[in-house]
Amino acid sequence: MMPPLITLTLNDLAIAVKNKSVLLIIFIPFFVFISLKLVDQSGRNLPKATVGVVRSEAYAPGMIRAMKAAGTLMTLLPVTDEAEGMQRLRDKKIDGLLLHSALTRDRFVLVVQKKEAVQTLVIIESIATLQQVVEGKGSSWISEVRATEDGGIGKQLLPTWILMLVLLVGFIVMPAQVAEEKEKKVLLSLLQTPMGEIEWLGAKIASGMILSAVAIATLHLLSQDKPENILNYVLFILLGCFCFCSYGIFLGLLCQNQASARTLGVIFYLPHLLPCALADYSPQLSAYSRFLPSYYLIEPVKALLFTNFSMSHFTPELLYLSAVGVITMTFSYLLIKKRWLLS
Amino acid sequence: MPPYIPAMKGGHHGIYHRRIDYCNSGNCNYQTDLATVVPMTIEIHNLTKMYAGSRGLLPISFTVEKGELIAVIGHNGAGKSTLLKTIAGWHLPDSGSVLIDGDPVSDRKKVVRKIGFVPELPSLFDAFSVEYNLTLFARLFRTPSSRIEEVLNEFDLLPFRYSVVRNLSKGLRQRVSIGRTLLADPPILIFDEPTSSLDFDITREIHDMLRGFHASGKTIIFTSHRPDEIRSLATRVIILRKGLLVFDGSPDSYFSSKDAEPIHIS
Repeated sequence: MMPPLITLTLNDLAIAVKNKSVLLIIFIPFFVFISLKLVDQSGRNLPKATVGVVRSEAYAPGMIRAMKAAGTLMTLLPVTDEAEGMQRLRDKKIDGLLLHSALTRDRFVLVVQKKEAVQTLVIIESIATLQQVVEGKGSSWISEVRATEDGGIGKQLLPTWILMLVLLVGFIVMPAQVAEEKEKKVLLSLLQTPMGEIEWLGAKIASGMILSAVAIATLHLLSQDKPENILNYVLFILLGCFCFCSYGIFLGLLCQNQASARTLGVIFYLPHLLPCALADYSPQLSAYSRFLPSYYLIEPVKALLFTNFSMSHFTPELLYLSAVGVITMTFSYLLIKKRWLLS
Repeated sequence: MPPYIPAMKGGHHGIYHRRIDYCNSGNCNYQTDLATVVPMTIEIHNLTKMYAGSRGLLPISFTVEKGELIAVIGHNGAGKSTLLKTIAGWHLPDSGSVLIDGDPVSDRKKVVRKIGFVPELPSLFDAFSVEYNLTLFARLFRTPSSRIEEVLNEFDLLPFRYSVVRNLSKGLRQRVSIGRTLLADPPILIFDEPTSSLDFDITREIHDMLRGFHASGKTIIFTSHRPDEIRSLATRVIILRKGLLVFDGSPDSYFSSKDAEPIHIS
């Protein structure tokens, strides 16, 4: 006879399999392993960096020649002026921008997004090596490294925390709430009132947006970090909240119960969060994260936190997030309208 | 008391009776009072709704007249709940149509106030109080808040108005569920196994309610497995077998037919 302890343990494991929680047990280690593998650069050739140079700037001829010759280490990309260079830096078209130093003659300022990023290290290391080869001993061509995302570690991490909050509400809170209403048939009862499917969806999205917005506002109040352009920043955050709440509602409607909604939520949560949070440390993750909607939220949030870009700079991101929100909302509407998977 | 409301048997179980007293005492100001209930007809044409495993409804057609009290019976999996949920708009049919006084049930805006569906398991926000649930649905139905007081009073829920639904007994939750459905006072009421797994007293209470609703002119369809319930309540019996309508007649003819026994044995 099997002891009750073993019987119940087996029953609990069976429940974990049935409500798909076991997928998390397999998925999370597997996903973390892949992410860390992509972040870990040891034993790998350093990635090639792209450096922007302003056409009108008077760079040392030896430096430019050497940088052009070192084609395996870096590529030079001429830009019209500093503004264009900064825009390309934000768009990640270049990894660094060389500007003339106002303080030291024949020395340059390297502008990068993040000082700790792999590409920044590659540029500094490559230029230092080239300088050694061309000039031998002497003061470095780069007198200063300036980051566009500067403001202490707290402010630099803020976009990641914001993305985490938006994704938490979108992928964990919303699917579970929707699945609960589905499971208890409250959704069908609500649809027996004069309220329409669009109103139900609108109310759900609004509640999710409010939850995310309150969390982000609290985070800002506590950290005392303010974006450069508050209006644009708020609009972008709200658009991101709309996108991920709509996405989460759709996931919730696909699930039969709360347990499976939570599992599915986590399965979507981590792959949307980790690659974007670690993108600066791995070109591979950076390339992968461009396929995710979360990338189109975190990048403008970073830019708006540290610079004073106008909304017109973010038209592709705006369109992408809106499209994801509207498409998932349309799918949710169809599921409810056709009463698919509702009972 | 309006002439169509019979005096109820069962003493303290006459919950629906109390509504009349409450309204007669001048408290009732809800627009669609008992006297103004307009019963509706239901027309079902070649209705089909199939699930995986060939379960569901094969083409069935019948008409429900105003003021009927119909028991839909059949074995488990015969299609009773599917039929009721399709009439209520919880399911969309694969083919065929359900018309409520000429309006298709898919036209929600037109029929939503005409049909009230009480599912077998109460679908309520169980983390909230009875009053919260009623208030929420009253707002969605745009019924005046005075109607909440009426429902709380009619269904003997006043002592439980601040109780959290998940802490209530099964019978009380069923009462809240029925009360919520009655907020908009629909002329057609559909009950999916209203007395399933309820004790004797609560069952009798719900029977009294059904009689009261019927006496007030409402059209009622319910599913049941209980012969006593069918005999004492129904004015018409419909039997479904494997998704097909196999009997449609009076309770007397049903109980004297050979269809009765196998269903109740199951």
